[in-house]
Amino acid sequence: MKHRPFEDWLLNDERLTPEQKRELQTHLRGCRACTALAEVNLALRSARGVAPAPGFAARFQSRLAAQRALQRRRMAVGATVLTVGGLAILSILLWPFVAVAVQNPTDFLVSWALTFAAISGWIEALVQAGAVIGRVIPSFVPPYGWMILFSAVSGLVLLWGVSFWRFTRVPRHA
Amino acid sequence: MNEEQVWILQAQRGDDDAFTKLVETYQRPVYNLCYRMLGEPEYAEDAAQETFLRAYRNIGRYDINRPFATWLLSIAAHYCIDRLRRRRLPTFSMDAETDEGYEIEIPDVSAPNPEAEAARSEQREQIHQLVQSLDSTDRAAIVLRYWYDFSEVEIAESLSLTVPAVKSRLHRARRALAKKWEDSSAQTGMERMPYETPAF
Repeated sequence: MKHRPFEDWLLNDERLTPEQKRELQTHLRGCRACTALAEVNLALRSARGVAPAPGFAARFQSRLAAQRALQRRRMAVGATVLTVGGLAILSILLWPFVAVAVQNPTDFLVSWALTFAAISGWIEALVQAGAVIGRVIPSFVPPYGWMILFSAVSGLVLLWGVSFWRFTRVPRHA
Repeated sequence: MNEEQVWILQAQRGDDDAFTKLVETYQRPVYNLCYRMLGEPEYAEDAAQETFLRAYRNIGRYDINRPFATWLLSIAAHYCIDRLRRRRLPTFSMDAETDEGYEIEIPDVSAPNPEAEAARSEQREQIHQLVQSLDSTDRAAIVLRYWYDFSEVEIAESLSLTVPAVKSRLHRARRALAKKWEDSSAQTGMERMPYETPAF
């Protein structure tokens, strides 16, 4: 018989009939490659498990505690760096204003008052424009237009809600 | 729900004692996998500890309907494969196992004589060395197949491979092992005589 079926039997760990076993034994007497394959299979099957040194679980607990302590240290260092960095950036950004305020406080206060007044004026204008549009628009939009608009907005809100839920939900067994 | 599932659920709720029970239950299979993958007891200890740390961090994502052993050994196998890819580990001495590891020696009552048992022990050492020469993923497939009796489907799930890929890797690995086995037997003069075929 040919070499191939015997190699396949060995590679696929096939269950052999008594007749096939006899044929395989006969083949193995003359085929070194298949003999090596059969020996490797037997050696692998007879391999035993190796256990860790005693106290593995205790070492794990120590490692876990060390890991947590390291994590806490990292968080503390991170929070400190962020706070100090944020304060430094804020100081750099505010420094021109602070310098002006220190050198000439009257001019500084006047310029800020003018800026505040300008912003207030813009907001008031926008509110008035909005009120006018709010009074005029409804007379131009038919009732079914409002229904379409309401449905579209509801759909978008629902889509946003579902997406938010899917991305933020905690796994069932967490 | 069995005891293990109870521990898992408790561990998922943050119970460290429950997780420790899982560590105690699975320390040996995880350590053995790491040892067979990395070849050295120190590396195996470190990898096994890291496996449990990763499992601890990700226990919330574990699906209780899957076998816990498969999930845990998958973490261990991936970690060892990554570690083997990151750095080239040296070839290890054959004495490593007896120096540092704790092989569970079960007396073979069927052994006809001590010489036969010694020969088997030598074979186990030899196969351990040969497994170290395999590609990391092939090695993981062989270890899961022979030390854990994983099916090809389970190996595929554990190593994120397809079933045909697992089959192909197992065939390739066993052919490579057989070739090296034949070569090393010829070199050491331990070649089996043609009439001494293994028993089935």
